[in-house]
Amino acid sequence: MTRALVVDSYLLSDAESVVARVRVGDPAALEILYRAYETPVFNLARRICRSVEDAEDVLQDTFFEVYRSIGQYRGDGPLWGWIRRVAASKALMRLRRNKYRDTDELHDETHAVRREDTPLRMDLEAALERLPETSRAVVWLHDVEGYTHEEIAGMMDKTPSFSKSQLSRAHAKLRTWLGEEALA
Amino acid sequence: MSHLTMEQLVALRDAGSEPGSAESQAHVVACPQCAAELDRLYQRVARIRALPSLRPPRDRFTLVAGRVRHDRRQVKVRRLGLGAMALAATLLLVVVGRDLLAPPSASASDQLTAVMAESATLEQALRQLRGDQRVTDVYTTRAAASLEDRIGELDRQLEATQAHGASNADANLLPLWRERVGLMDALVDVHVTRAQNVGL
Repeated sequence: MTRALVVDSYLLSDAESVVARVRVGDPAALEILYRAYETPVFNLARRICRSVEDAEDVLQDTFFEVYRSIGQYRGDGPLWGWIRRVAASKALMRLRRNKYRDTDELHDETHAVRREDTPLRMDLEAALERLPETSRAVVWLHDVEGYTHEEIAGMMDKTPSFSKSQLSRAHAKLRTWLGEEALA
Repeated sequence: MSHLTMEQLVALRDAGSEPGSAESQAHVVACPQCAAELDRLYQRVARIRALPSLRPPRDRFTLVAGRVRHDRRQVKVRRLGLGAMALAATLLLVVVGRDLLAPPSASASDQLTAVMAESATLEQALRQLRGDQRVTDVYTTRAAASLEDRIGELDRQLEATQAHGASNADANLLPLWRERVGLMDALVDVHVTRAQNVGL
């Protein structure tokens, strides 16, 4: 049983009938869907986006897209897998939109300067937060959500090599920031 | 062989999918340092997966529902506008077709009187409907404007035909008045539809 199927059966046991009701425009069914998946969608969005506000916007955009595109969901895979894909795309779109704020490279440089001042060991949450946005997105999508490098590359409009390199660079940084070097 | 890079260690988790993973695997078996490093990588990933779920701080469903309602309204308005235009076109076809197919029965003068009376009735209905000045959507407005333009054009043709004063003026005027009635009928229908749906 895939992770998405487990999530489906746990969060929404009667997914099929709820989806059918959303398809015919039943607002109550859309709310059932929202209540069932709001936390995993927000969690995914928040792990990828830099701010709570961005993640909230992604949450809203995701469910609006779910309502608009529910006709495209054929029911041949887990519902959570489909909603998660919509959410991941929206979150990555938000990252691209926010790129004007600072590039990942600049973010890296900033951290490189700060590195001297950081404590030897960081909390895992803080270390993840400190990663460049793209690297953090790849870590989350690959290591937690289980997407392959090919799938991530497709969503990010990059190559699988890009995804692999982001992942290994991110793990190298995490290893340092979490003080694991001292254990080696 | 030197120790494995982070890239090689990370690739080892995607079992068998990477070239050279068999060599890396063999190295890990033989090298306790790399084995420990791989172990730490697995543990790190397990810790990331075990992080608590972050919950949205505010309920956003009201905003989602609001966007959905707005989207539905837009779709309805678009459909109504297109429907009104299609209806007007259909009515026009029916009226013109009926005129072309109908056998001549009464005299041209009698028919003209009847058609003009029908036109006057529709004109009156239209005046009442226009009294409702509530805002309407762009598609309905466009459909009504297009019909009104055509009616204006017909009125100019009617004036020109009447001014010409030919002996068979009634026979020439009749098809123009019939077309006018057809257009007026369609216009009344557009306004009735709009009045029913204002405030959607």
